[in-house]
Amino acid sequence: MTAHASSPLLLRAASAAAVAATLLTGGALAQTPQNGGTLTAIVQPEPVTLTSAINTAAPTGFISGNVFDGLVDYGTDLTPRPALAERWEVAPDGLSITFHLRKGVTWHDGHPFTAADVKWTLENVWKTIHPRNQATFGRVTRVETPDDHTVILRLSEPSLAILSSVNSNGAQILPKHLYEGTDILNNPHNLKPVGTGAYVFKEWSKGNHVILERNPNYWDKGKPHIDRIVFKVIPDAAARAAALEKGDVQYAVFSPVPLKDAERLGKLPNLKIETRGYEWISPWLFFDLNVDTPYLKDVRVRHAIAHALDRKAIANVVWYGFAKPAISPVPSTLGAFHDATVPQYEFDPKKAEALLDEAGFKRGADGVRFTLTHDFIPYGDDYKRTGEYLKQALKKVGIEVTIRSQDTAAFTKRVYGDRDFDISSAWFAAFSDPQVGVTRAYWSGWIGKNTPWTNGSGYRSAEVDALIAKAQGLARQEDRIATFKQLQQTVQSDLPSIPLVELKFFTVHAASLKDVVTRGDQIYGSLKDAWFDKAPTN
Amino acid sequence: MSLVEPIRVVSLPGRSGLAGRLLRRPSAVAGLALLGAIVGMAAGADVLYPADPLDMVGTPFLWPGADPDFPLGTDMLGRDIAAGIFHGARMSLLIGAVATLVSLLIGVGVGAVAGFFGGRTDHALMHVTELFQTIPPFLFAIVIVAVLQPNVVTVVLAIGLTSWPSLARLVRAEVLRLRDGEMVQASIAIGLSDARIILAHVLPNVLAPIVVSASIMVASAILTESSLAFLGLGDPNIVSWGSMVGSGREVLRTDWYVATVPGLAIVAAVLALNLLGDGLNDALDPRQNRR
Amino acid sequence: MTTRGKTGRRLRFWTGRIVHMALVVFGIAVVNFFLLHLAPGDAAQVLAGEAGSATPEYLAALRRQFGLDQPLPVQFVRYVGHLLTLDLGFSFRHGLPVSDLIAQRLPATLLLMAASIGFAVVAGSALGAVAARHAGRLADTLISTLALLFYATPVFWIGLVLVVIFSVGLDWLPVGGMTSVEAGYAGWDHVRDVARHLVLPAATLGLFYLAIYTRLMRAATLEVTTQDFVRTAVAKGLTARRIAVRHVLRNALLPVVTMLGVQVGSILGGAVLVETIFAWPGLGRLAFEALFQRDLNLLLGILLCSSAVVVVVNLAVDLLYTVLDPRIELAR
Repeated sequence: MTAHASSPLLLRAASAAAVAATLLTGGALAQTPQNGGTLTAIVQPEPVTLTSAINTAAPTGFISGNVFDGLVDYGTDLTPRPALAERWEVAPDGLSITFHLRKGVTWHDGHPFTAADVKWTLENVWKTIHPRNQATFGRVTRVETPDDHTVILRLSEPSLAILSSVNSNGAQILPKHLYEGTDILNNPHNLKPVGTGAYVFKEWSKGNHVILERNPNYWDKGKPHIDRIVFKVIPDAAARAAALEKGDVQYAVFSPVPLKDAERLGKLPNLKIETRGYEWISPWLFFDLNVDTPYLKDVRVRHAIAHALDRKAIANVVWYGFAKPAISPVPSTLGAFHDATVPQYEFDPKKAEALLDEAGFKRGADGVRFTLTHDFIPYGDDYKRTGEYLKQALKKVGIEVTIRSQDTAAFTKRVYGDRDFDISSAWFAAFSDPQVGVTRAYWSGWIGKNTPWTNGSGYRSAEVDALIAKAQGLARQEDRIATFKQLQQTVQSDLPSIPLVELKFFTVHAASLKDVVTRGDQIYGSLKDAWFDKAPTN
Repeated sequence: MSLVEPIRVVSLPGRSGLAGRLLRRPSAVAGLALLGAIVGMAAGADVLYPADPLDMVGTPFLWPGADPDFPLGTDMLGRDIAAGIFHGARMSLLIGAVATLVSLLIGVGVGAVAGFFGGRTDHALMHVTELFQTIPPFLFAIVIVAVLQPNVVTVVLAIGLTSWPSLARLVRAEVLRLRDGEMVQASIAIGLSDARIILAHVLPNVLAPIVVSASIMVASAILTESSLAFLGLGDPNIVSWGSMVGSGREVLRTDWYVATVPGLAIVAAVLALNLLGDGLNDALDPRQNRR
Repeated sequence: MTTRGKTGRRLRFWTGRIVHMALVVFGIAVVNFFLLHLAPGDAAQVLAGEAGSATPEYLAALRRQFGLDQPLPVQFVRYVGHLLTLDLGFSFRHGLPVSDLIAQRLPATLLLMAASIGFAVVAGSALGAVAARHAGRLADTLISTLALLFYATPVFWIGLVLVVIFSVGLDWLPVGGMTSVEAGYAGWDHVRDVARHLVLPAATLGLFYLAIYTRLMRAATLEVTTQDFVRTAVAKGLTARRIAVRHVLRNALLPVVTMLGVQVGSILGGAVLVETIFAWPGLGRLAFEALFQRDLNLLLGILLCSSAVVVVVNLAVDLLYTVLDPRIELAR
């Protein structure tokens, strides 16, 4: 975020500076990458498609980032770095953004990559059918391509969030010559993608594996180092741990093994655990409190629930240390946007009880004040355990909790469609700009739209809605930061949702696999820097 | 799926005779003793462990024997595994028993009606039975639980709904055989109602194979519940052995006792019920008694 | 009976069975279609959920694409219409026809089923025969207890323990999957590779059924050896081995074959667990995933296909009966 903060008007990441940065990291390792070898990675669950432009799901992005480069990628400090765009400028009034594209880049089928591809994708995919980008690129009124290597976005009002979302996952560029005039969602190339990236799609055997091969004509000369990547589908977590332990698999992301197993695997000499590479996602876990229900509409009850929860215990016991207590809904990884001075609700069951008494919900003869339901996000045992913790923690202050378990389809319908719940849990990706990932949790326009991962609590605040609208159109980054801080203050005192922990997703990789995490969006990025100092034998 | 095919059983002998014959079989005695112990645990759970077994009472991951307060250790959230085993015995037996009851109601009902009335009724009911038998039962159970959303009621229902067809066929075959017998024919002659004949004269005579089947079905239900829990289709509000194994499997490689202790309890219960079923089958089989 | 009469009866039997089979499969389609549509949420919602975010317009576009914007009766009529032309429909999630997806996965499941059952039948029969020869003695008790223990242990548990012992600990066998893609084997190497991957999943699933066949074989052997014709054979001075192979095995196989027909559905169900643990690319896992992804066309297709497998295996069992015992005729 420092780049945004230091050069608010003219965001320019000169390619020279980025090259220097790359050299620096390269120099620090003081090892020459070796070429060759086959990398076996785990992709789980199996992706639906291999094109992030139409589906931004994690497994798709994990593979797709190797086939497609973005305009930029992001460093671990979330500054954009050149990729398909060598440099870019934001006009002082914030009303236009110019990307200067790299020359001599070709699609895997040999067709040249040009500004027309970017323009076409923006107009026909990002602005229309992309699941996330319609808001981000909504202010783009016109796309100009004065030559084959320049793209100028004309905006109706400033939109700085665009620059935090133009990597391969955020805004993937599709080959116009293969997509124009077709049914984009059903285009056969979604399943056998043609990109510009370091790896070329070879084969997808459903239920088994996806194979990518080294792109010999890659623009970044000398890369990639590894000849072939095999992504295997391994549905069971214990089996994934065994495959990594045995060395059958050398790379797996998104906390691929049970948290407790990660500790064990990390101690093995042949494996390493890595928590970097997720900065661009910056996930935080929270409880949404349905403010339309008789008990939770009372802010004192919401505060009481927050006081009843020990976020340290959630981080260290429930999440085995793979999390850190959250302070605000804008995670600390977002740098300047994060406000550490927001109201805090320390773990204090007595205070919680006092607040509940004050709200008029006294303990009954059986010690119970009232009963709530809890629907946990159905993404695995960790979230179920968090729910079990909630149940026991609230029981101590006299609130009985019934946990309901269901699958994703039922969960999203219940929470974001029917709104038939009391407390739900979810984790959102904040992304590198709160506008992209955080505001959706509080903007009232999302309520009841049946759109997953939006405003689940049903919180309606004219003030917050106004702040969100204001921040979107500001041209100065300082002003945006101030606006987002104000937003954090308000939502933390109204507390429609309780930020619990910032999740630390982790990657498990073979110790012999080097430079596998080199950027802040690594899990959605390319493995072009990775190499083996001792290739696996298989 | 049942180990014992209690087709050979003909009639239920006198009660004292049955007990005596059962007790002469060492494996049946072992099964009875084991089952008695488990039922005892279930009954004593509230006395020995009056607190909620879901309470987080100790340090997480205490190994069995490490702390005398928690003889079987604690799980990942510091819940007492011993308390879970005792309360889980009750829940697992209950799940097994109720699921079996559901299955018995459908299976015996369908089988008796089809066998007794024969003809079109029989034809139609057997078609339905075949339909259910043709869908892989576990797959069907998964679908039912997922569609109705997982909780203890839907799990029990799913197990019950998918395990009755073989019982229905068994009962039908027995009833068919009895229908032409003197007693039933006599009852028809004196004008007794069909329901009365089925309840009073037919069913008591097919009780033996039903009892044997039931004991095996309870065991199967306990296993199925644990498999569903393994796939994440359990009820987080209750403690059953299946749910304990389900939540313990993620720490199988580091703290294997968390899933192993309830796993052993399942093995013991299934074993006990099968041994008992075997014993009953042998004791009720007149041919075996001649040997 | 004349040959012609026999052929006519055969023909009638087979047409009857096939019509009956089609009716059962159709019934299953109807039951499951409505059952599955009771499930809350739809495929578009799942996709949107996985994508991390989606706009209502995106959701609407997906629903239109999937045909989910149509009323349920219309969807049903369409589905049945397709079914009548033997078309299982399209999996929008996978972007492929359901029949293609099933065709990709069915061989793996059939292989797993055949191997597990083969293992259970062969090992179980051998153990059962041994137990019968030592009836009442220590070996008998040991075999019976062991088999019962495997039967009483949850399948997934056995699977996980086998992986820890034979893959991670001893490093004899692969952890999961069906092939070593990285090695790119061909020909016999490929067959050997698949066989190595098959050992643990087949053993896991087979161990559960081991007890059943051990017991069947033991009982059948005991029963057959007391029958007249075996006594006659012994009296005629035939060697023990010839008696065992000729008479005992042949007669004891009847209940074993019966059991096969009864079990095929249960094995398909068990495959869900085993395929999950061993990343075996079969139908069971596909069904499980399709369920949670609300890929209902695919799930319906798999359920229909599983039922068809059950029906076909049972037909095969009936046929096998007539081969094993010529006295049995094809009739209902």
